[in-house]
Amino acid sequence: MPTQEEIYNKVSATLVEALNVDEEDIKPTSTLQGDLGAESIDFLDIVFRLEREFGIKIPRGELFPESIFQGDPDLVQDGRVTTKGLDELRSKMPFADLSHFEQNPEVGNLSDLFTVDLIARYIQGKLENGTNN
Amino acid sequence: MRLKDQNALITGGSRGIGRAIVEAFAAEGAKVAIVYRGSREAADTLAASINDRGGKALALQADVADAASVNGCVECVEKELGPIGILVNNAGVIEDDLFVRMKPEAWNKVIQTNLGGVFNFCHAVAFGMMQRRAGRIINVSSVAADHVNMGQTNYSASKGAINSFTRALAVELAKRGVTVNAIAPGFIATDMSAPVRNKAGDRIAKYIPMRRIGSPEDIARVAVFLASADSSYITGQVLTVDGGLTLGAVAE
Repeated sequence: MPTQEEIYNKVSATLVEALNVDEEDIKPTSTLQGDLGAESIDFLDIVFRLEREFGIKIPRGELFPESIFQGDPDLVQDGRVTTKGLDELRSKMPFADLSHFEQNPEVGNLSDLFTVDLIARYIQGKLENGTNN
Repeated sequence: MRLKDQNALITGGSRGIGRAIVEAFAAEGAKVAIVYRGSREAADTLAASINDRGGKALALQADVADAASVNGCVECVEKELGPIGILVNNAGVIEDDLFVRMKPEAWNKVIQTNLGGVFNFCHAVAFGMMQRRAGRIINVSSVAADHVNMGQTNYSASKGAINSFTRALAVELAKRGVTVNAIAPGFIATDMSAPVRNKAGDRIAKYIPMRRIGSPEDIARVAVFLASADSSYITGQVLTVDGGLTLGAVAE
């Protein structure tokens, strides 16, 4: 089981490759979209590279849940994530820190959840649970 | 040599336009994978002739309409040559008939080969190109996409769809350094157009402002351009190569 630091360093190296960014641009709080310029096709590549790098399987929608982004009226109303939507986020992304987002749950702010640190935490949880099959 | 040490895969590469593209790419230094469906002898002979001249070519049988066959083919080429940097989707069939008489089989065959083949090969190589941040996809369309002929609902539909597909895929891959373009040939002297040429004879050339039927090499030179660094800022385009056929001028 790699240490937290080893996981972070590997995630960082993966993002350098997938997003064609400099290593010094990557900080734990960097957001993938806003700070590192990731687009939808890049998310696919990131998932693929993480799977290969860590020898894990990342089911579609697990690291980057899609349902909430597709405007399901139960989960998103008037551009804001509903209470039900927040519950959904909590259950689908136990590895995410939602405390800041909850204060202003606008859909547009969702992408800020996806930080370098979030990916590292996700990977760590994945490796700890031994679901690397 | 504009394509030195590049790996290129050309479908329908044993005959006609595909063959000319194979020859032109090899002459520019590319290593070429010639994909054929039925004409093994022609493909093998072409590959041998390129290898004899000091180039690198291999011939592989595949059914472009069958995803499993395509994936196996790409795997084999990448094992032999390395990652594919240039893909030319040239394989195509015609199965003309007046629409009211057209059998569903004729529709399916043309759509699955011409359009499905483009999907299958693009699907097999696009992710790798995207990851390497380099790649050229060239789809061979036809002026028949927009300038339709009697009895070609299936063929025109397949080629029109290829043009739209080309633009849509270009948008998805642009950021990753992969360009996707199409060539729309006009009337070209190939086996596919032989029945019409035989029937109409010299009359055809009168409808072409340049007064000549195109050669496969006319198309191959454009394919080399689209595969080379010269076209690096061009994506999602359909280049018409038809001697002016579709300009709409009436013969004198």
